[in-house]
Amino acid sequence: MIRISEVTKIYTHKAPPALRNINLFIDAGEFVSIVGQSGTGKTTLVKLIIAEEKPTRGTIDIGDCDITKISASAVPFLRRQIGVVFQDFRLLPKKTVHENVSFALEVAGEKQSRIRKVVPQVLEVVGLSAKATSYPYQLSGGEQQRAAIARALAHAPKILVADEPTGNLDTINTHEVIEILKKINEFGTTILLVTHNRETVNHLRRRVVTLQDGEIASDEKVGKYKL
Amino acid sequence: MMKKWGNINYKNMISFLRIIKFAFFDIGRNISLSFMTVFILVLMLLSVNVLWSIDVIAKQAVGSVKKQIDISFYFIPTATQTEVDDIDKYLKAQPEVTEVKVLSATQVLDNFKARHKDEKETINALGELSENPFGPTMIVRAKDPNDYKKIIQAMNVPEYQKIIESQSFDQHEASIEKLNTIIGRIEKIGLGLTILFAIISFLIIFNTIRVSINTQRAEISIKRLVGASNWFIRGPYLIEAIIFTIVSVALTFVIVFVAAGWLDSYLSVIFASNFSLTNYFKSNIFFLGSLQAIAVLLLTVVSSGLAMRRQLKV
Repeated sequence: MIRISEVTKIYTHKAPPALRNINLFIDAGEFVSIVGQSGTGKTTLVKLIIAEEKPTRGTIDIGDCDITKISASAVPFLRRQIGVVFQDFRLLPKKTVHENVSFALEVAGEKQSRIRKVVPQVLEVVGLSAKATSYPYQLSGGEQQRAAIARALAHAPKILVADEPTGNLDTINTHEVIEILKKINEFGTTILLVTHNRETVNHLRRRVVTLQDGEIASDEKVGKYKL
Repeated sequence: MMKKWGNINYKNMISFLRIIKFAFFDIGRNISLSFMTVFILVLMLLSVNVLWSIDVIAKQAVGSVKKQIDISFYFIPTATQTEVDDIDKYLKAQPEVTEVKVLSATQVLDNFKARHKDEKETINALGELSENPFGPTMIVRAKDPNDYKKIIQAMNVPEYQKIIESQSFDQHEASIEKLNTIIGRIEKIGLGLTILFAIISFLIIFNTIRVSINTQRAEISIKRLVGASNWFIRGPYLIEAIIFTIVSVALTFVIVFVAAGWLDSYLSVIFASNFSLTNYFKSNIFFLGSLQAIAVLLLTVVSSGLAMRRQLKV
């Protein structure tokens, strides 16, 4: 579960806060869409959850741990428990799909035997088994995003944060990626989908949190894209 | 608990091996930048070694001159053997004196004749004299050139001065002072140039490493994204710094030994002693090697540390 309490994030005092008094509770296994126009604080919220930024005020609990108080050396361990995918995929261009996924496990010091076991499993989940030896430039946008999701799943995270994962994709690929996220959610992983794709949000019929000017404008159990 | 720690150590070891693997991978991938880094480091080390060698040769030159220095006391022809023996004993008792050699009046005359054997007029003039015009000569060597002043002062006794006709030292003193001044200047210039080279090298190395790290910025951000620790991200650059250090110091010493071997043939002509630059570097290789390796390692580690600071900011 994720509990965000009274979180405010101010980057500079010359500008209004990126986030203001955010209170949000996300239960384990939920599929939550965070929606809002550009500059409403969606990405800031993601950065706070993966400890890339620290809030100016407030606390963020993930499980039993307040991540606003963890040391810098503990951040990598947190990131191994939270899978993250971005709009720009962030794959290593000189590594194959298999190597990109392996890389996530290699940096965590996982044994080679475990890497050999896990990588084919996650590639199968995202439907990329046949493309394991392909390089990112040989893949379509959708396939690249699926490879990024496979990498995010390598550590079997309890939470998967997807920041605009369909931003660079066409309708068919968007649908494929969302279906994969739904499948991962069915396995019990909490999904936090940050998007401004109206069709996707409306099609999902899951919880929708709408951000506006750095504040939560609405939070509906089965919501729609309202903006 | 033990199993958990064992697992952590095993993971650390795997991570360490992967860090080494990534370091070699990075060097290979940025081979031109790696080559440039080593090249600049070798240039810097060579300039330091050249300055060091100049200092060593200059000191050796001073040493050679110092060894040739002595002071000669020329006695009047009427000085008796007893008087000369008294002075001999007196000087040998002085702590600064290492050697006293006495030439009798006859030996001095024979030496003079030998030196001027081709000058008939001089030899004929000597033959016309009924007596030996030379008195005995005393050649004194001291531990240090600075001690000669003390010896001269010690000899400033009226009893001795009345039988001393002349003494020769002034010219040597001037040449030693000149050489010491030159060495002092060489050391100052050398230190200045070394600091200048170190600053220039630091700036070039810092920028070379920064360019290298910037080209891998995306990869570093991905490493952070997938949960790599700062140590895991920084590690390959540290290993690269160690590799660059070993390679550059080793290459520099190969060049230094080749150059020293070539110079030795010329130096053996200049210095009568068995001085060899190769032998000097051989006997000081551990000191010089570790000193330069530590300096280069510090330079590369600090450069990469500073260049990576922004990338590693959480």
